[in-house]
Amino acid sequence: MSLSADTSVVRVAGLGKRYSSDGPPALFDVTFDVTEGELLAIVGPSGCGKTTLLRIMCGLLSPSEGAVLLDGGPVTRPSAKVAVVFQDYSRSLFPWLNVLRNVTFALARDRLSKAERIARAETALNEVGLDDVGRKYPWQLSGGMQQRVAIARALASRPEVVFLDEPFASVDALTRADLQDVLLAVHAAAENRRVTIVHVTHDVDEAVYLADRVLVLTPSPGTIAASIEVELPRPRTQTATRSSPRFLEVRNEVHDVIAQARR
Amino acid sequence: MAERVARDSRPSVLREPGLLRRANVAGLLFALALLLLAEACVRLFNLFDSVAAPSDTAGALIEEISDGTLSGEIATTIVTYVQGLALAVAIGVLLGVAIGSSRTIDDATSVVVEFLRPIPAVALIPLAIFWFGLGTPTIRFLVAYAAVWPILIHTIQGVRGVDRMLFDVAATSGVTGAARIVRVSVPAALPSIATGIRISAALALVVCVTAEYFVGTEGIGHYMQDHGAAYRLPELYAAAALTGLLGLAVDVAVRSGERRVVFWVGEERARR
Amino acid sequence: MSSRAFARTGGALLGVLVFAAALALWEAWARGADSFFFPPVSEIGREASDVWPSGDFLSATGASLKRLAAGYAIGAATAVSVGLAMGSSPHVRRTLGPTTEFMRALPVIAVVPIASVILEDADAMRVAVIAFGVFFPVLVATIDGVRAVPPEIRDTAALFRLGGLARSVRVYLPAALPTIFAGLRTALSMGLVLVVISEFTGEGDGLGVYIWTQRFLFNVHGMYAGILFLGLLGFVLNGLFSRLERHMLAWHYGAIGEPVR
Repeated sequence: MSLSADTSVVRVAGLGKRYSSDGPPALFDVTFDVTEGELLAIVGPSGCGKTTLLRIMCGLLSPSEGAVLLDGGPVTRPSAKVAVVFQDYSRSLFPWLNVLRNVTFALARDRLSKAERIARAETALNEVGLDDVGRKYPWQLSGGMQQRVAIARALASRPEVVFLDEPFASVDALTRADLQDVLLAVHAAAENRRVTIVHVTHDVDEAVYLADRVLVLTPSPGTIAASIEVELPRPRTQTATRSSPRFLEVRNEVHDVIAQARR
Repeated sequence: MAERVARDSRPSVLREPGLLRRANVAGLLFALALLLLAEACVRLFNLFDSVAAPSDTAGALIEEISDGTLSGEIATTIVTYVQGLALAVAIGVLLGVAIGSSRTIDDATSVVVEFLRPIPAVALIPLAIFWFGLGTPTIRFLVAYAAVWPILIHTIQGVRGVDRMLFDVAATSGVTGAARIVRVSVPAALPSIATGIRISAALALVVCVTAEYFVGTEGIGHYMQDHGAAYRLPELYAAAALTGLLGLAVDVAVRSGERRVVFWVGEERARR
Repeated sequence: MSSRAFARTGGALLGVLVFAAALALWEAWARGADSFFFPPVSEIGREASDVWPSGDFLSATGASLKRLAAGYAIGAATAVSVGLAMGSSPHVRRTLGPTTEFMRALPVIAVVPIASVILEDADAMRVAVIAFGVFFPVLVATIDGVRAVPPEIRDTAALFRLGGLARSVRVYLPAALPTIFAGLRTALSMGLVLVVISEFTGEGDGLGVYIWTQRFLFNVHGMYAGILFLGLLGFVLNGLFSRLERHMLAWHYGAIGEPVR
């Protein structure tokens, strides 16, 4: 039994967000914890507030009520302990920088030497399965490769928590499967065992495939409808895992929760 | 974020497909025909007092360049022009970045800017003569004043129009404040800034030559005024033609520089 | 007041304050320095209020505007005609292209002495200069506008068996009008500038003549007053142009879904 009493790295408590004084709040009374090292998926239909929730959690947006705690401290702006992967890679990678420079972009604040920065970047690129693209520009790469670069950029700063905002929504199905496995590999890698991942998606199958736990968010107002432990063995594969009975069980449960909330 | 589609605003000479692969025969023939027609008219109707014949113009051009007069004037013009333009770029970009990045600075300067904008630079020629006298500093001032506006406006637009997602990336990378302006806002605004500089480059040349016409003691503009007043028409036409060629050359030079500095623009749009 | 509206008024107020402060600074400095070239704002204001409504000044402005109108009309009409031809036919474009491009690059100021020799009348020279300067922005805009007409519309015109001229005037021209208007606006600013420049030769009557003459009268106040009036005139003309544009292009704004401002 571990000695540490509390392994939740992120705490969300009573979170609420209103964009206008009339009309339903975007988020209402959202409360949950994220355990260190877990891969948490937040799933829900469009407009349920999951992007809003993610933006508040990583510090890009401030809540109307409640708070987010990171390692016990309140989140008021983006912390160095946190990294984000955005959905639209073509807009989140700087077109005037090559891949290597994009990946090292956030490392200026860590006060590393140039050699160290490059080493970190190359390690991160390796982790996502990209070698030898350092000198290329993002727009010279395919969509899938660009998103890998974005993930590498997130990893290079050695964060405690990585937030992903529908990161695979802009690529085709085959590339998506590829990238899902990249994410799983990254999560499993020895160095990353203590990295917590919060993955927001509208794709239920993806959420179940990737996560240790799935939070279902339902809209108007955005609230947590369910928290479901996935309990599928790792390592997971696109073929075996997705055809297993437990997988079907969990994804059906999620769909039911969402359908339920629609009524 | 609406994608700003770049209209291909290059001169149509360069835009038409196939121009470089095979010469625009029809176009060249037409131009040649016009010149021959003009030549014929001037000779047949004895218009030498009012119009310079193309042959005389060509002669004057060759002569004045080879003995150094015209080339000297053009060189002088170019120097003053570049100085004025450089000043405009420095002021325009710095001010534009400041105004584009800070709502407060934007608000504070907006009235002054909107007040000065409608005043055309050339209208200031007589006033500038009062301020700086007759000479090169006056011309430099007028060039800089005229060139600053397109650069300023385009820089402000470029900085204001930076994709907000890039700011999200900056925020989550710990890049804020001045560092964000330098590392994100300016590069992202560079395509717009480049367009502003290209427009200013053309405008500045025209203003330079115009100012030289009224103010100058040297430069192509003064050369034209001088020879025009003396009814030396072939020299006048030659100078005008040369200035036209200079303008085209400047445009080509600026565009090629633009393609190098803002290298990601064409490629990026092509891949999307 | 919502916080946004509050911020906006605050911002506008800041702008006005800064402007007023700049004027006040000028006034204070000018009084102290007693420089000939930078008279105090108050004196400029007094001169302007004397000069602007005066009969001579108004008739001068009228003369300039008449020339502007004439040159603008000639230049724009020619440019739209040539532009329609060049825009709709690649062959015409290639043939006329190099010549128009080269002429476009010529400095307009050169037209002043050239036209002076051909046309002895100062007024005619000025109108010619304005027409020359107005021609090219409108030409480029017209060509671009016509070229950008969607193929569906071109096909429709062909299907209705409209001959070249009819097609150009009844289909391409309206379709290209928004772009043409952008060129017309640029040409308007250009035209105003050219009126002033062409009047710097000093003969006759006009706003530019007035401004230029102040130099020889050493009347720096008058010069400021004239230049400021010119800026105001440009502002007003631009505003009137916007009104006209909005009126003529109302259908366009509707079609592209923009609210009519």
